[in-house]
Amino acid sequence: MAVDITLLFKASVKTVKTRNKAIGIGFDSTKDEIFKRSRPKSGFSPRAKEVITNITKLKDFLLQHRKDYVSAGSLISSDLSRMTDNDRDQIDQDAQIFMRTCSEAIKQLRNEAEKQVISAQIKEHRGAVLDLIETYLKGVCKLYSEQRAIRVKRMSFVFRPLEKTASSEVQDNPVNLWEESRVEDELSPEEIQMFEQENQRLISEMNSLVDEVRQIEGKVVEISRLQEIFAEKVLQQEAEIDNIHQLVVGATENVKEGNEDIREAIKNNAGFRVWILFFLVMCSFSLLFLDWYDS
Amino acid sequence: MACHIPRLVSLLKKKHFLCCISAVALKRMLNFNAPPLKNTAAEPVWKVLIYDRFGQDIISPLLSVKELRDMGITLHLLLHSDRDPIPDVPAIYFVMPTEENIDRICQDLRNQLYESYYLNFISAISRSKLEDIASAALAANAVTQVTKVFDQYLNFITLEDDMFILCHQNKELISYHAINRADIQDTDMEAIMDTIVDSLFCFFVTLGAVPIIRCPRGNAAEMVAVKLDKKLRENLRDARNSLFTGDSMTAGQFSFQRPLFVLVDRNVDMATPLHHTWTYQALIHDVLDFHLNRVVMEEGMGAEPSAGARPKKKSRKTYDLTAADKFWQKHKGSPFPEVAESVQEELDTYRAQEDEVKRLKSIMGLEGEDEGAISMLSDNTAKLTSAVSSLPELLEKKRLIDLHTNVATAVLDHIKSRKLDVYFEFEEKLMSKSTLDKSLLDIISDPDAGTPEDKMRLFLIYYITAQQAPSESDLEQYKKALLDAVCDLSPLNYIKQWKAFTKMAATPANYGNSGVKPMGLFSRVMNTGSQFVMEGVKNLVLKQHNLPVTRILDNLMEMKSHPETDDYRYFDPKMLRGSESSIPRNKNPFQEAIVFVVGGGNYIEYQNLVDYTKSKQGKKIVYGCSELFNASQFIKQLSQLGQK
Repeated sequence: MAVDITLLFKASVKTVKTRNKAIGIGFDSTKDEIFKRSRPKSGFSPRAKEVITNITKLKDFLLQHRKDYVSAGSLISSDLSRMTDNDRDQIDQDAQIFMRTCSEAIKQLRNEAEKQVISAQIKEHRGAVLDLIETYLKGVCKLYSEQRAIRVKRMSFVFRPLEKTASSEVQDNPVNLWEESRVEDELSPEEIQMFEQENQRLISEMNSLVDEVRQIEGKVVEISRLQEIFAEKVLQQEAEIDNIHQLVVGATENVKEGNEDIREAIKNNAGFRVWILFFLVMCSFSLLFLDWYDS
Repeated sequence: MACHIPRLVSLLKKKHFLCCISAVALKRMLNFNAPPLKNTAAEPVWKVLIYDRFGQDIISPLLSVKELRDMGITLHLLLHSDRDPIPDVPAIYFVMPTEENIDRICQDLRNQLYESYYLNFISAISRSKLEDIASAALAANAVTQVTKVFDQYLNFITLEDDMFILCHQNKELISYHAINRADIQDTDMEAIMDTIVDSLFCFFVTLGAVPIIRCPRGNAAEMVAVKLDKKLRENLRDARNSLFTGDSMTAGQFSFQRPLFVLVDRNVDMATPLHHTWTYQALIHDVLDFHLNRVVMEEGMGAEPSAGARPKKKSRKTYDLTAADKFWQKHKGSPFPEVAESVQEELDTYRAQEDEVKRLKSIMGLEGEDEGAISMLSDNTAKLTSAVSSLPELLEKKRLIDLHTNVATAVLDHIKSRKLDVYFEFEEKLMSKSTLDKSLLDIISDPDAGTPEDKMRLFLIYYITAQQAPSESDLEQYKKALLDAVCDLSPLNYIKQWKAFTKMAATPANYGNSGVKPMGLFSRVMNTGSQFVMEGVKNLVLKQHNLPVTRILDNLMEMKSHPETDDYRYFDPKMLRGSESSIPRNKNPFQEAIVFVVGGGNYIEYQNLVDYTKSKQGKKIVYGCSELFNASQFIKQLSQLGQK
């Protein structure tokens, strides 16, 4: 259990100050403060903080409108809290643009940090800071993709019953209406009915199209999420495969060198043998010669 | 008071105890001493952590590097290393308030290394040193930068939920050798006692409870108890600065009753540190290099280099055995053969899960062409998502299984080469005074049973537990056999002295009844299926028995009367007048107890206490010691003592 002795410290500071005044040592405090203020404004840290504030703004915005976004939009709820689909699409688009700009800003910061010539500790520190920001961004993106997946799933379920009711209406209407179209300018009740039926048909066609599009959209969103996960894994594997590749290349080099060494050794061996043979033959010839010379 | 009750109840239900309290204290400190928010996706705040070696030892068993990163620590550096200025980052210092550390902090302030400084001192800092920092801050005009100064009172190392040690660096200063050597000065002793008492005081401040202290008479433990009692008393009397007041205790009052603090000296039981053991954690500590929950092993052993070829490179591998490792938590106290079987089981479960995941591939292929089946597709994608998200868990499991396989294999190699099971069985029989089926001389003269150290340990245990000292001729015989086996005989001199001393003092320690049953043929048949072929290694079953320390604790906690513990002294810091009597005021049995061994302890005692706790419902026992040594380190200290 920790004890806060900051006040004690401040009291010590006062004591030391009074003691110094009594002895006569003074410190020029004002000059240093001015120097302190003129620290670089456009450094790494202020920009990183900016990115974080932006991401926080996005997160607050998403959380604020989350309830409305995800709500089923029942017919009884008041108009103020209902969000039209246009609004939802707008939110989606804005959020996506925002996230893209944030991740680009992070990448830019990272490149700059790489290029700058600074000590290893500061580099490591900046790398870790950027990792933290990225994790934060990923968390906020997860929020967004969750609520979007819910919305899309709900859409695909909502439109199925509508499609069924629309198609049942279409089946009741007779098919051949085109011949009786343009005789009079006045709209007789039959023509009105005809136009209505045509309208219905068109509506149902449109609905089914929209429905299919939404289904496809749902599938695509799910696939994209899985794709994200796979892409991450593949990138990890890529690093490892690179590593393995380096090792294999090194190994082939070593094996080649080994082969060369072996060949040389064989050659030396063979050469050595030749010289031994030669020496022995010469020795025996000299022996014979000496023997012949002696006798 | 009513608001404390739900917190109390939740704390009582908590399984993790000491680790939690220390880890929570550390996390608070790392969050600039504000309680950590449980916000999901909170804004990251980055900081730099600076520690000295003491701080490193305290932090490393509790928080891993990844957890530090998650808390926003971008860099963690040693205090006395070269550090570059990082001008716009707050720095958290976690150091001991020694002279060199204070000088270095003043230097940092002068060099304006960081933007703001949060100073946390592991134990309380004195006023004069605080003024030193104040003057350095004034000189560097950095007073506003020193944002907060804290006394953390964390001067002890928490290794497990219910185990702590005092320090790892400089442990020679308070080792058994330092306390018991013949040429010790009073000033040295005072210094050692002060160190120990300081750490214990920090421990109780962190725990937030004032204990009732019991200790034996006439040895180092009594000195520690007297000093600790005095220090606690002074702090309680000082109403302004008391650290034990009701509102400042957060994790504090974990029960309505005060805990019992039992201080014992190492000299009460010398055989247990030398004992060969059979449980997993104690074996690792005995046989491998195990410090602060970290095992360092050399890989690539076993293959013999063929003639002329370059020897195989031995790489050193480090493994962390943490609280998150479920297998470790479950099996660290189990006997070794059980551990081997469990590793095998875990491996089989893991393989089954892996096959499940692979099966999904075929499912996906078959049902890909079904049209209009949104539900089917979403079901498949859900399955796929769940399989993919469970992959990290599976990988982690695989890593842990590999870790334990390697560690257990290394331990098994040692057991086989040194025939540790034979030693274990023999020592158990010695300690329980049952009949021996092999004579001691046989084992000592057996050339391939164990290292000389093992033989020395066995002989020392025999000497310690013998009712009467062996006759001169027997002793000479044993000494000759030991010298033949290249043993160092100096520990024996010290043990002789010790035995003479304790005979005067009290009744010799009784190690209780234990039986060791070798399980024989049946178990061997069962074990042939497992990966660890345990041929020749007997499968020994441990029967429950109590070591002396456990027995002392049992007597004191249950308020039983026993000649051994009846004249233990009784200290209650909360009483107005210290009394010399040893009659406890409290007649109820205690629910929580803390056992502290002055002079060193080891995992065998800890395991015994854990087993004892399991057999009693609802009791919490914490084990602490001034240092943790394994048998070889203890023998070294004994030989140093015996050589004087």
